[in-house]
Amino acid sequence: MPAKQTLTFPYSRRPALGRRRFLQGSAAVVAGLAAANCRQNLAGPPAGSGGSDGTLHIYTWANYTDDSLAAAFTELTGIPVVVDIFDSNEVMLTRLQAGGGDAYSIIYPSDYMVSEMIDLDLLTELDQSRITGLDNLKAQWQNPAYDPNNAHSVPFCWGTTGLLFNREATPGAPADWDFLWENQDELSRRITMLDDMRETLGATLKSLGYSYNSSDPEEIQAAYNRLLELRPHIAAFKTTGFENELLGGDLSVSMAYSSDAIALTLEDDRMEYIIPASGASLWTDTLAIPATAPNVDAAYQWINFMLDPEIASAAVERLFFATANQAAFDQLPADIQNNEDLYPSEAVLANSEGIVAVDTASTDLFDQLWTKVTSA
Amino acid sequence: MTPAPSPPRPWADRFATRRWLGPVVLLGPAGVWLLLLLVLPTLLILEISLVPGLRLGQPSGGYGLGNYLQILQPVYLRVIGRSLAFAVGSTVLCLLMGFPVAYWLALMSPQRWRNLLLVGFILPLWTSSLLRAYAWAAILRPSGVLNTMLTTLGLPAQNWLNTPTAVFIGLTYSFLPYMVLILYASLEKLDTRLLEAAADLGATPSQGFWQVTVPQTLPGIAAGCLLVFISTLGDFVVPTLLGGASSMNISRLIYNQFLGPTRAWGFGSALSMVLILAVSLAIALLLRYGDKSSVSET
Repeated sequence: MPAKQTLTFPYSRRPALGRRRFLQGSAAVVAGLAAANCRQNLAGPPAGSGGSDGTLHIYTWANYTDDSLAAAFTELTGIPVVVDIFDSNEVMLTRLQAGGGDAYSIIYPSDYMVSEMIDLDLLTELDQSRITGLDNLKAQWQNPAYDPNNAHSVPFCWGTTGLLFNREATPGAPADWDFLWENQDELSRRITMLDDMRETLGATLKSLGYSYNSSDPEEIQAAYNRLLELRPHIAAFKTTGFENELLGGDLSVSMAYSSDAIALTLEDDRMEYIIPASGASLWTDTLAIPATAPNVDAAYQWINFMLDPEIASAAVERLFFATANQAAFDQLPADIQNNEDLYPSEAVLANSEGIVAVDTASTDLFDQLWTKVTSA
Repeated sequence: MTPAPSPPRPWADRFATRRWLGPVVLLGPAGVWLLLLLVLPTLLILEISLVPGLRLGQPSGGYGLGNYLQILQPVYLRVIGRSLAFAVGSTVLCLLMGFPVAYWLALMSPQRWRNLLLVGFILPLWTSSLLRAYAWAAILRPSGVLNTMLTTLGLPAQNWLNTPTAVFIGLTYSFLPYMVLILYASLEKLDTRLLEAAADLGATPSQGFWQVTVPQTLPGIAAGCLLVFISTLGDFVVPTLLGGASSMNISRLIYNQFLGPTRAWGFGSALSMVLILAVSLAIALLLRYGDKSSVSET
């Protein structure tokens, strides 16, 4: 419990970044609510609106674009940009499948979702002759496993999923996922885990020494039992919106995506982010064009715009994502290049692995056990 | 012999047309609205709920009752039980807190302040329920306003955020004004001459209350309780923002089936049908026992 106690909202001294993120979180909840209440809303903007007036409709994660990025694109091409936000790959996929396939020209699916969407024929096969700057990508993204030869997607940024914690509110510094189980009584209801099935069950698998992508029913079941053991001590399953409580000491540890965590560690010295020793998940977010997208020309222009080293590095400096673009990386200031949270060394990443789509039987088991553990 | 053609009857024809036209004009817009946005979607949900293991974009395995059988697993029955507990608990709390307020407003408050007081009471309804839930999260968190006050008064601090307690507080707060409005409408019509008569005939004030006031306002009480029950049973915002991982209820579970990682639309639809059924039952009870006029007046 922090010593300073006031009757006013205690963290108003937080800089604008925090508030913006807080609002984004609530906007996502509102959007989710609207979509949940009314099937009509799933369709998003009216069909064809993207194509007819030339506006580029983008559907992306909360912190990947900002006003100045959109303004720079509009200035360069004359194409107005409208950005909508999703907070999980599954929400994005559901909206596209439920009639929103012609609402967006550019989407930002993650690696395993790219594979899944290719299988569902939801992505346009890219005409690489219309894209410049692909050769600027770092070597490991030239031919990624989730989308061979980047045929349907362009790697945009990457990151890890680890533990973000408040040093003042945590007994010692966590080194591995085990920390949560070992200190569960002290940390009781001061922990949040991601509301992300593959990440959270995957981290539990990893803490048992198994793979994120296990398809062994016994291993998955063991992870379920282990997560169930921790569950009474988990305050909430949250993908966004834990930041204020973490800063205030109401929460101690949050499982977080590195891109979200880093902004907070830069904002406040007490916040620290670690990549667990037994291994984190390594994820890549990409740019892709839906199969039924309007305004495909503008979509290619956006891809080329985002691949431009100067624009990409300027965006990284503002938004703190780890670029997959070597040319953009080279232009970054040294302190960002050397930020271990953002660009961890090979040694730290030794045990980490990417999440890939698993077979249907395992997906069913993951689904079923995730629903159970969150309902218990 | 063929019947002779009947003579033209322009007046009767016009009348027949009008008889047909009137209801169509009056009921048409709402009817189309209900058909398109209520009946058809519900039928669609019913159909999807009968397809087990449905995944969008993949061939389904035909119709079956698998989704409904899944609901019978203990973990999901507990979710339904928890939703019912939230709804019943917050309804009782709303009634216990709302009745005295409505009683005072309708019968004892100064006449000229009455409308202002009533408006003051329903003022919170004018802000978004989402904002109010966020406000409660800020109040209830361990370092929040509530604990600041408790520790200042020398009382033990409470860690209520992300527990069912927080959900009860949030739900009761959200729906109390509705309860008060309905009870107020019912109590305002109370025939106070009956109370005077009861007093004249030797009834104590408490006898008068239980045997005259309560029976007269029973339809209002039923209407208020059922309205709060129905609203809290399907509430999504409060359990999500205040309950955390501790309070999965049926509406959150349904949301997760449609927009969560599992995307089990079939199971979500089956859960929706169960919720629709439960709410329909409650509405049937409301129509049977409730004071309809007090609902329509508010």
